Amino acid sequence: MRKLLLASAALTLVTVQAAQAEDIFVGHLADLTGATASVSKPFAAGVADAMTYINAHGGVGGSKINFETVDYSYQVPRAMAQYKKWTSETKMAAIQGWGTGDTEALSSTVAKDEIPYFSASYSGHLTDPMGKTSAKPAPYNFFYGPSYTDGCRGLVDWAAADWKKKGGKGQPKFVHMGDNHPYPNAPKDACGAFAKEKGFEILNPIQYSLKPGDFKAQCLSLKESGADYAYLANTAGSTISLLKSCETVGTKAQFMGNIWGMDEAGLKASGEAANGMVWVVAAATWHDNTPGMALVREISKVSDPSGKEDRPVHYMRGVCSAYYMKEAMDIAATMPGGVTGPNIKASMYKKANWVPAGLEGVCLPSSWKADDHRGSTQVMVYQADVKGDSISMHKVHSVELPRRPEWLGW
Amino acid sequence: MISSSLIPCGQFKTSYAKDTTIFDTPVMRAWAVGAVLLLIATPMLVNNYYLSLLIQIGFMGIAALGLNILVGYTGQISLGHAGFFGFGAFASAWLNNKFGVPVMLAIPLAAAMTTVLGLLFGIPAGRLKGLYLAIATFASQFILEDFFARADWFSGGSSGAAAAPVNLFGYELSGDKGFFYVVLFWVVVMFLIGSNLLRTRDGRAFIAVRDHYLSAEVMGINLTKYRILSFGLSSFYAGLGGALYGHYLGFVSAEGFTILMSIEFLGMIIIGGLGSVAGTLMGTTFMVLLPEVMAGSVSITKSLIGGDVGWLTEGLAYIKQASIGLAIILFLIFEPDGLVHRWRLIRSYWKLYPFSY
Repeated sequence: MRKLLLASAALTLVTVQAAQAEDIFVGHLADLTGATASVSKPFAAGVADAMTYINAHGGVGGSKINFETVDYSYQVPRAMAQYKKWTSETKMAAIQGWGTGDTEALSSTVAKDEIPYFSASYSGHLTDPMGKTSAKPAPYNFFYGPSYTDGCRGLVDWAAADWKKKGGKGQPKFVHMGDNHPYPNAPKDACGAFAKEKGFEILNPIQYSLKPGDFKAQCLSLKESGADYAYLANTAGSTISLLKSCETVGTKAQFMGNIWGMDEAGLKASGEAANGMVWVVAAATWHDNTPGMALVREISKVSDPSGKEDRPVHYMRGVCSAYYMKEAMDIAATMPGGVTGPNIKASMYKKANWVPAGLEGVCLPSSWKADDHRGSTQVMVYQADVKGDSISMHKVHSVELPRRPEWLGW
Repeated sequence: MISSSLIPCGQFKTSYAKDTTIFDTPVMRAWAVGAVLLLIATPMLVNNYYLSLLIQIGFMGIAALGLNILVGYTGQISLGHAGFFGFGAFASAWLNNKFGVPVMLAIPLAAAMTTVLGLLFGIPAGRLKGLYLAIATFASQFILEDFFARADWFSGGSSGAAAAPVNLFGYELSGDKGFFYVVLFWVVVMFLIGSNLLRTRDGRAFIAVRDHYLSAEVMGINLTKYRILSFGLSSFYAGLGGALYGHYLGFVSAEGFTILMSIEFLGMIIIGGLGSVAGTLMGTTFMVLLPEVMAGSVSITKSLIGGDVGWLTEGLAYIKQASIGLAIILFLIFEPDGLVHRWRLIRSYWKLYPFSY
């Protein structure tokens, strides 16, 4: 009984504290301990640093962003429970989310509750706000960057050119590799269809876990299948293990990683196994000298005062995600009703070819429309050069994919 | 298993009815009825956060009671309880989505489906005991987990299934307030059934199987039948709890029902008290509130320090898990009979105060 009393006393304190805040509340879901932690940590740091920086420099329309970062370990039920907790305790203006499983699961709920959801999931299923071509509309979901499907299409586009350049004979073989999970599954069918259209032969998908492990069996299947191009749909953590295993087995396939499939830390960890791998990048990289990087380096000092740390590619996208939300909130603050969900949603449609102020050359120009939430369809393909200890990457391809109506929400 | 400290020394019962009564004294009955009445008024008194915790205690408690019937009363073991819990959740969503069965009906139907599955997976229990049975049920956990991730027609595969809110007479009970009553209804019904089960021949047979299976068989109890029946019953409870969970969250995901959850259920009944209906509820309450209290104290620490402390946010998941582990160890050492025993000691202390003997 005493324990119960103590518990309720502690809980009361927490709720009172949450109720007092009159700032704009933003829920921030991150995976700091789960299967995708290796890429979620830098992204979450980008989002959190950007919001802290925004607060220190005037906030949003005069008020401050009050955000709470919660680690949900990439478990959908935990994210759902956290969402319920947030909506029952506070008036949440927006969410900075993470994974595909939880974002897709919450999409109809946030639509009902009118809470804009800025996810780090770029699942194509979230791009159809009206439900024109997909079964499930996602009117309150936004994300910055090309959808997973568009990213994969961009890679296929590069692969087709690469095959021609190398003078490959016959039909190139394409294989999808990933876990049986909403995130790797998201682009599977749509990208396969595009690869077929581009003249690839589609092989049976190969499954490998999102949790890092020994993937020699999968690499043997890959070797046996004779695939020329393998799309890796998982995040960097498990992709590193796969590259290592495949180096041991000796596969010849060209690896192509999803936007979360590789980063600087991943290259370092994989060593020469990652040499030649290509993957999707959708913002400036840390050592780029674009005008906006000056602001990003300032923001980075929030959690790294020395300014010495090199931030992976995901960090920049985290900053972009927070800044698009911030500018939409700025517009919403001038509208009747202030910073509410519907106003933020309406503000997202106000600008075309939009780059947040100060981030020129970091975030790609994006436009969201009331009937099309594909912010950007530009895909940049980077290739890794790893020789011994020297690690670098360079851009090999950039394509602006057409906005075909039937691709919406797929 | 646990003797009630409120019954005076010696046996003064003069009828079977007195021996099998649920509440030892009328005051206790009044307290129980009062508690239910208080709970009915709760949604008017507390905010949604507390309500959501009570709802969690409700559906977890139902499932934990099922496991207590299996482990605490029949002396079997199951490491696959979360699998059945998940099956109930998916089955209810499936019945509702596919066939348009109203949610209020889909919940008990899903529980019935889970019972059939439990009877099936319980068959090895007729032959196996102890560790061997634990491993057999462990297998059912993995079979079910994999089934959820692959059976697109049933569970929606890896992307999960949407579960509609409860709809009663055209009125949607989607909020916590409405759903609280749904859960409360089932908690009262299932705990009444659970308490009454032990007053029946079947309930006594379960206990006989647990206490000494050889003697039980000599007395004419069909061991295989009762062992499998116990699995079925426990699955019914698990399925019902799971179905409530699914409709509460509004979404069922294949990832949630892991072996960890099965062990958490075992933790609940060990902490609460094996073989005690009231203890099940106490153990569940403890296990649901413990991580929340940890999260609460972390937030308070943060606000005292001021600002966002990185390692505390990151460490919260570990703090939550570690506190559950620590609680189980401490209970095994200091209170192996569970919270319910401690509660009885406290109660008798006050009742006999100041002249306890």
